[in-house]
Amino acid sequence: MARLAREAARLANTSKFAEQVRQAAEAGRHVDVSKFAEQARQAAEAGRHVDQTQVVAEASRLAEQAQTAVKAANSLAELERLRVEYLGRSSQLTELRRLVRELPVEARPQVGGAANKAAQNMEGAFETRWAELTVAEREERLRSEAVDVTLPGVPYPKGSLHPSMRVVDEVVDFFVGLGYRVAEGPEVETDYLNFTALNIPPGHPARTMQDTFFLDEGLVLRTQTSPIQIRTMLSQEPPVYIVSPGKTYRRDSDPTHTPMFHQIEGLAVDRGITLAHLKGTLAAMARHVFGEDVKVRLRPSYFQFTEPSVELDVSCFVCGGADPKCKVCKGAGWLEMLGAGMVDPTVLSEVGYDPEEFTGFAFGMGPDRMAMVKYGISDLRLFFEGDLRFLRQF
Amino acid sequence: MRVPLSWLREYVDFDLSVDELVEAISLHSQEVDGVHGLGVLDGEVVVGEVVEFGPHPNADRLFVAKVDLGGREVQIVAGAPNPYPGARVPVVLPGSVMADGTKLRKAKLRGLESNGMMMSERELGISNDHDGILLLDESHKTGRPVADYFPVGETVLELDVNPNRPDLWGMIGVARELAAILRTDFRIPELSFETGGLPTDEYGLRVEAEDLCPRYDLRRVSNLVPGGRAPLEMRRRIFAAGMRSINAIVDISNFTMLETGQPNHVFDASQVRGGIVVRRAREGEAMTLLDGTTRKLDPEMLIIADEERGLVIAGVMGAGDAEVGEETSEVLIEVATFAGRSIFETSARLGLRTEASGRNERGLDPNMVPFARDRVASLLARHAGGKIAPDTLSHYPEPVRDWEVPLRIERAELLLGVPVEKDEAARRLESLGCEVRSEDGELSVTVPTFRRDLRREVDLIEEVGRLVGLDRVPEELPKTSVPGGLTPTQKKVRTLRRLLADLGLAEAITYPFGPDRWRTDLGLDSGHEPPKLANPLSEQAREMRSTLLPGLLDAAVRNEAFGVEGGALFEVGRVFEAHPPPEGLRETAIHFRLTGEVNRLGPDVEPDAASLMGIEETPKVGGVLAGTIRPANWNASERRAGFFEAKGIVERLVPGASFVPEDRPFLHPGRSAAVRVGDVLAGWVGELHPETAERFDLSSPPAVFELELAFCEPDPTPRFRPFTNVPTVSRDLAVVVESWVPAGDMLATVEALGSPLLVGARVFDVYEGAQVPEGQKSVALRFAFRGEETLTDEAVNAELDRISRRLRESFSAEVRGA
Repeated sequence: MARLAREAARLANTSKFAEQVRQAAEAGRHVDVSKFAEQARQAAEAGRHVDQTQVVAEASRLAEQAQTAVKAANSLAELERLRVEYLGRSSQLTELRRLVRELPVEARPQVGGAANKAAQNMEGAFETRWAELTVAEREERLRSEAVDVTLPGVPYPKGSLHPSMRVVDEVVDFFVGLGYRVAEGPEVETDYLNFTALNIPPGHPARTMQDTFFLDEGLVLRTQTSPIQIRTMLSQEPPVYIVSPGKTYRRDSDPTHTPMFHQIEGLAVDRGITLAHLKGTLAAMARHVFGEDVKVRLRPSYFQFTEPSVELDVSCFVCGGADPKCKVCKGAGWLEMLGAGMVDPTVLSEVGYDPEEFTGFAFGMGPDRMAMVKYGISDLRLFFEGDLRFLRQF
Repeated sequence: MRVPLSWLREYVDFDLSVDELVEAISLHSQEVDGVHGLGVLDGEVVVGEVVEFGPHPNADRLFVAKVDLGGREVQIVAGAPNPYPGARVPVVLPGSVMADGTKLRKAKLRGLESNGMMMSERELGISNDHDGILLLDESHKTGRPVADYFPVGETVLELDVNPNRPDLWGMIGVARELAAILRTDFRIPELSFETGGLPTDEYGLRVEAEDLCPRYDLRRVSNLVPGGRAPLEMRRRIFAAGMRSINAIVDISNFTMLETGQPNHVFDASQVRGGIVVRRAREGEAMTLLDGTTRKLDPEMLIIADEERGLVIAGVMGAGDAEVGEETSEVLIEVATFAGRSIFETSARLGLRTEASGRNERGLDPNMVPFARDRVASLLARHAGGKIAPDTLSHYPEPVRDWEVPLRIERAELLLGVPVEKDEAARRLESLGCEVRSEDGELSVTVPTFRRDLRREVDLIEEVGRLVGLDRVPEELPKTSVPGGLTPTQKKVRTLRRLLADLGLAEAITYPFGPDRWRTDLGLDSGHEPPKLANPLSEQAREMRSTLLPGLLDAAVRNEAFGVEGGALFEVGRVFEAHPPPEGLRETAIHFRLTGEVNRLGPDVEPDAASLMGIEETPKVGGVLAGTIRPANWNASERRAGFFEAKGIVERLVPGASFVPEDRPFLHPGRSAAVRVGDVLAGWVGELHPETAERFDLSSPPAVFELELAFCEPDPTPRFRPFTNVPTVSRDLAVVVESWVPAGDMLATVEALGSPLLVGARVFDVYEGAQVPEGQKSVALRFAFRGEETLTDEAVNAELDRISRRLRESFSAEVRGA
């Protein structure tokens, strides 16, 4: 108590403080603190107590005043200025808190509590307004940053895969999934492997059916990928499950025939392979490539290296056979898809397999034609011209 | 084979719509290539009698007729002048539909009403004759439907007959097949005729080339009425089947061929000198054929001659001599079987394919001969007034007999994957003409000689399967499971193609053969000869490519021509190189190529298959980047093809490749490089030489590359390298060197220092100009350092000093600003 009285006296005698009080009074600003100081001084002299209620009221008045000002603030900069004014080192509230130390011990909790509460209220108001203004300012900035979203994006390059190769990849993936290997072979093939080993001896009319490109004597551009089957069977024992895609060549050139085209052949040789296995395998393949709903049917056919030989039709995946004017199947409801059959015993014997022990099926299809059907392409010649107007569509 | 349905019905009854018939045939026998209509498909055609006929009052070329249709008279405007009052004509009435789909309507022609049309032979589908209205004889009753006398419309099925079924090249064979499919019966025409003509054996028959002619028969028919025409119905059928009517004798010959599938030939007997000789052609012998051409023959070819001259290229086409004509009154009918392969080769070598050669080249059944021979004779007797010789001459030294083939039912079930009933299998085979004996679990099948394709058990199984119905075959998957998948190389090619597509290139596939210009324009003509096609489609497609480049350049030219704004293409394909088998091995090589057999050269010396092939194929990937490869965008400038664009792609495909300047005649000498992996050449990259671009007609040189696939690693197997969690320090170093110093060498030198801290180095700027002395350039390098723990400035500076010292030693590089 003695210390407090001493301090109050010091305050009262400080002409600087008196001057502050005076200036504040002139400016019509808050004079309350000095008023309290005065009161405190007088109280000290009189040995009385400061009027605590008044101090508390003043603190809450300050808080209210600050809140009003904060609510009115329109920018983060203005808000910062107000924060300095109301909560800064030289703010009224800070003065008030300093004053608390001058109070009698029993008065301090009440006054200190009021000052803290005022400070909390002010800080709360600042925080709220800060958040509001931050959001508003961010929104404003984002508004100003808006772009024309209809302008094109950065042009990352886009290439394409050849339509035939898309079909080849799809078919190969299907068979790989069944456990087939992919077998390959040369495009320049011997007469023996391209024909004779496939049950097409010299002079056989089937040789003209596939007009052949000849190179040096005894060499041809393969007219089919079937020699790969022979090469595979010559190099391994059954079981054989292979699929062999590749380029093939025939002397033919018109809108539906090009001298080069693709084939995918497949071969399964094992114990107990039947025509039902052929049908089931190819039906599953057709559904993989053309959709779950397609149906297949077999028709008898003739190939030199299979017996029985069949052709496989796929129900039109566009009209399902329902549209007599369908452009894809031309109203037939069926699309010719591939040739197939049970491997001829002569071929099995030729490669040293016992046809009584092993049976097998083989099939061959044209991925170019499948691509034509699948993508609606009318002219096969487009496939091999390197025309970007064509290639970029795939 | 064209099958007119009205003709087919003469041998087999069926009650199916055309669609049902097509389905039955295609699901059980042969593919049906097309369905054609002839004549009047729907409507009414009646016999009319012309009452008045005269010129159209308002038109010079039209006529007007009044025609009695049997109790009612109509006016008809006609374009042909040949009808006359009293003539019987076929009249098609309004509302009828013609084969081409047009519907006939009542019409007014130049002011006169026309209530129908008088028809020409062509309009009725009888022939191609459109010169006048068909005039019918008195046997056609006025007012009766013409269809009571002959079909006025015809549906023709075009069968795509498999080469193993020559029996289906005749109507009777088709009828037998259809009857088997429908499980019904079929009829063969009865042969009944009287003989009484001059004897055949007044002529000789000598078969000199027995190996090419297993059977040769002759029968003489005399007393023919010269110059006759075949009956209308026969002419109509021949036309519907796709042949032309000539005269009665020739038509009967052709009709019989179409009916039986067995070709025959008819000689004017009066022109045959001495007798018939079947022999090989003599060296230098020539023959002027019915088509007017003169063909040089050789001793590989079989001909039919008389004692003095060649008369027919056997089984293919006749000469003008001894051919039937308007005066012919006596004929020799030839029906023979020739070796199919000989006919095939003769026809192929002469480029001469006829209805006869197409049938003969399949190798026909000699036992078909007597029926065809006597069918011609009897038709000549019936329709041309001929008298048939009592005797025939026949050369048939080794008669072909039917044969037996056992069929195990369980084998049929194994191959077909369906249960097969023994009795049903037997019935089906019988319907094809087989005789079947049943033993336990097995059938013993006697095959008729006209089914030469049924030799083995498996052939019979196919017949059973297709007749029973392939729709009965269930869908199953094989039970075994085997390991499959793509090989590493196949996976690599997949990845590579996808990578190139993702980099913006379009996958092209071009022809591997082209003109010799491909080589010469690239300046590659100094090397050895490329493999060449012996029979290219044109000279523009003779040489096999030794590089993918020209095909891609041609594509680039095409794209430029069509105004495609630049673009990038790649191709994965093979190139071909000739390595002719070494001297002395050529015969061995050819033997290998034709038979698959490798002849040993000595006890242990076996040439390898690759050298006997003589052509090496190498898979490559090539690319061409032309013009603007990425167009300007509103926020990005365009990218044009250039060396570094192509090099960037190559770097993705062959990580770790080095690029060494190396001249190639078709590449820009200063903007191209060999691509090496270690010391091995993997390919090349560069801008096309401006002269090459000009030769290919490209407006500006594209950037191009080609790599051997074997060297590409588009997705190398990753190998983890541990790293520490300390910051990486980046430092720049700009040095001035002589202009010629390769930046790549500088980087390599830095790398060779083996700094433990250096984790990255790249060139981020190259500058030549005012800021550096003439003949020099500034190269700005950016290095990244990282150590076990956070690096100190001293440590980094020491390392950087070491680098700059080494660059100074190796390249006299001066550090800029130092």
